[in-house]
Amino acid sequence: MTSQEKLRRFEDQISPHLKSAYNLAKWLTRSHEDAEDIVQESFLRAFSAFESFRGDDAKPQNAKAWLLTIVRNTSMTWLKRNRNAHATIGFEDALEDPIERSPDPEEGLLISCDREQVRQALEQLPLDFREAVILREMEGLSYKEISATVGVPLGTVMSRLSRGRDWLRRILSTPQPVKPEEGAGLR
Amino acid sequence: MTCDDSRIYLPAYLDDELDVAESLRVQKHLSECGDCRHAQDEQLALRSALRDPDLYAQPSADFSKRIEAAVRQAAKEEARSQRSSWFEWFRLGSFRWVPAAAALVIVTTIGALLVMNSLRSSHEQLIANAVLAGHIRSLQPGHLIDVPSSDRHTVKPWFQGRLDFSPPVPDLSELGWNLVGGRLDYVDGKPVAVLVYQRRMHNINVFLWPNHGSADDAIREEDAQGYQILHWNGAETTYWVVSDLNNAELLEFARALRGH
Repeated sequence: MTSQEKLRRFEDQISPHLKSAYNLAKWLTRSHEDAEDIVQESFLRAFSAFESFRGDDAKPQNAKAWLLTIVRNTSMTWLKRNRNAHATIGFEDALEDPIERSPDPEEGLLISCDREQVRQALEQLPLDFREAVILREMEGLSYKEISATVGVPLGTVMSRLSRGRDWLRRILSTPQPVKPEEGAGLR
Repeated sequence: MTCDDSRIYLPAYLDDELDVAESLRVQKHLSECGDCRHAQDEQLALRSALRDPDLYAQPSADFSKRIEAAVRQAAKEEARSQRSSWFEWFRLGSFRWVPAAAALVIVTTIGALLVMNSLRSSHEQLIANAVLAGHIRSLQPGHLIDVPSSDRHTVKPWFQGRLDFSPPVPDLSELGWNLVGGRLDYVDGKPVAVLVYQRRMHNINVFLWPNHGSADDAIREEDAQGYQILHWNGAETTYWVVSDLNNAELLEFARALRGH
């Protein structure tokens, strides 16, 4: 594969997923500037490793999952390097039930789709759960693809998705909006 | 399917991760169970909230141009480094590989020569052993000569009919080497001629046979249990000389024989 041919195929198969790459990086880092830098670094990494990618036009999803794996790993490296107080949250044991109430199922139903409330809840969701939810709900990756991207077993993907969604549902069904610093249920 | 099972399967059902049979079972349960339908509605509500397009993070307006430029720059640099790496390979290659190849050829050649040499010398060692054995045997009473004569015109014809070659029988008496006779012996799987010369009381056995290989006339010495063995390949004849004579005198004899 010549450099010209490689560039053409890269722009055909990988470049269309730029927005997904940014979306993932943004949700993982919660920083616009960092997300753009991470995506740029990821694209350069992806380009230099493009020979190792064996996809075809018939399966564009594979190219997306491949790129998102690189974005995810680059983001994790960035997060480790820039570890701060709230970035340390991300371990599974940090996720606890935000509320023990709402015995009435009707009351537990998601009341509002207030966008800012959802955004805030998602930002507060610990990293491991957040990445699973983003990859599934926003990027539409299958369990198998998430498992490969994150590098955990399928069962862990399902458990993180399930617990992450439960947590979000409970947060969003409480009458009061969650305050970021308090992070109900987060330690 | 129980409600507990249904709740476990529900997320995977909504994520379209169940096979057809499992999906149908969940579907059937949902159609029969209001509580589980309610759970499904909750999950679908969360899903649609999360899939709100406005939550999807958008990069800066010119971001895709910036990335495209960065990737194209990387492609350009890669092409350049590939060209230069090929160049380097060839350029350095000619300096790195030529001595390496030369060294390989030298090592291989030396190895081959050593092997050939050791094969040759082991072959010569075999002949030396046979010649020495023949010499020692000849010292037993009655074994030294079959045709006792100091006359080369008697000795030379004696070999005719006994060998398929006619060995040269030089007269070296003027140089102090007296021919005393000849006999047949057996060396390296073939009958050979042996001429016997004497100086003082020392017998000199000269084994000779046709030389079918290369000739260099170089006199070589072999180790031999207190005996002197000299041999060389003449143009037509291979000579092996063995005696208990001292090395210097035997070498003198060998040169006289060779020069004849």
